[in-house]
Amino acid sequence: MLLLLVVVIMAASCKTEKVLPKQEALKDITGSWQVIKATRNGTDLAGLVDFSQFRIQFENGTYKLISKLPFIVNKDGAYALDDPLYPFKITFTAAGAEPLSTAFTYPIVNGKRQLSLTFSPGCANNSYVYVLQQTN
Amino acid sequence: MISFLHIKGKGLWRACAFLILGIVLACCGEEITSLEQPNTAVVGSNINIKVNFKIPTAGDGTGNYLIFAMLVPKGWKMADNAKISYSSQSLGGGTMSLLPANSLPKNGGGLSWPAYTKKMFGNAGNLIDDMEWVVYQSEKNYAYGGGFTFEGNVTINLKVAADGNPTIVKLSYVISDSVNAYTSNEFGTYYSQINSPTCFEATGGTGDLVDFCNPQLTVIDPPKSLDNDFVSLTFDNTVVTTSLKDETEVYLCATAYTNDGKTIKVCEQTDKTRMAETAPNSKHYRITFWPKALFNTTDAQTITKIEYFVTDKTGTKRVGYGNTQDPFVYTFKCG
Repeated sequence: MLLLLVVVIMAASCKTEKVLPKQEALKDITGSWQVIKATRNGTDLAGLVDFSQFRIQFENGTYKLISKLPFIVNKDGAYALDDPLYPFKITFTAAGAEPLSTAFTYPIVNGKRQLSLTFSPGCANNSYVYVLQQTN
Repeated sequence: MISFLHIKGKGLWRACAFLILGIVLACCGEEITSLEQPNTAVVGSNINIKVNFKIPTAGDGTGNYLIFAMLVPKGWKMADNAKISYSSQSLGGGTMSLLPANSLPKNGGGLSWPAYTKKMFGNAGNLIDDMEWVVYQSEKNYAYGGGFTFEGNVTINLKVAADGNPTIVKLSYVISDSVNAYTSNEFGTYYSQINSPTCFEATGGTGDLVDFCNPQLTVIDPPKSLDNDFVSLTFDNTVVTTSLKDETEVYLCATAYTNDGKTIKVCEQTDKTRMAETAPNSKHYRITFWPKALFNTTDAQTITKIEYFVTDKTGTKRVGYGNTQDPFVYTFKCG
């Protein structure tokens, strides 16, 4: 009898823990972004080029460039991420132009999302990396 | 006592094993003995170069390939424009072929042969970083050993300045072998480098002169760019005595030529054109600009070339190409 009680108590002490699938957040890049770091062929462009005015604004599938600088596209248009959960490619379609895709990373640095884009606006051998951060 | 002997024995065996292993692995102390290379040629013509070498061997081994690398301007596209062969009574002879991109040198830390060669031997004193090492391997491998010294040569038939640009450049040559791949240890140095004794000159041609050899009054980085790149233009006020020698504020004065036949002149002495000194008292002044913005071109316009001077803050003293009153010329192109 005691044994039965112990078994019942022990059984009752067990509970099934529900493992909830962790919901991966949608990668939303809506907002205004500015360049916080830029390199050309590995050389830091800080102090050589004034990036302070340049902005890219993403909203409702469109983007807008402000105070243009060499970039993947040089006109405003539409953008798309290849996967809203795990994007690793962003496609810009400037008005009246062919879509252009580029690989990007989307790390969190010091608690803030960064957008790192690699592209060649001029000669294909010249590679630029812009690291963007959302403006407050 | 037994323990003492044991340790001593172990050390001795280790030393012997290391020595034997070292002798077996030690191959070829390559040495370039002489270089036969013309000092000048016409742009687009073919030249013959001969690199004579000897390879003393210290140990025995098989399966070794002769490695040959040459430093040339990227625009020459040597991989498409050269035929390399080798000849040696004892190694045999044949052609040398480009090392494929997936063939990695041992000790290269994952770098390709061209990248590893550049890391080891640099730019051989050339001042513009637009050179590449092109690396070849003998078609047959060979056995080595017996303290024998191989002698032979590599011959290069190369079309110079395939990009059409007259060029002044230091060419450089390296010989090594696939087993040792630019290593050096207590048994020897398994590579050898020789540079052209003077700067090689490719003359004629329709392009702009590219001088890798002599310090230039102005240098543009990247060496090849378009009007949609960021272009850094550096003026070196130490190369020769110019009319700007006492100036501390210098400016860019430039004219852009566009694909629709327009010329756009930007010759003002403001922050827009100011060249900042790269470091205090360096007398090197640099401006980095986006040509499309500096010249304010329309979306449809492309800048094909710029002509420019460096001026003082009044705009009256100006320095041009070769310290003359002719402008410097830079053509926007990628190849």
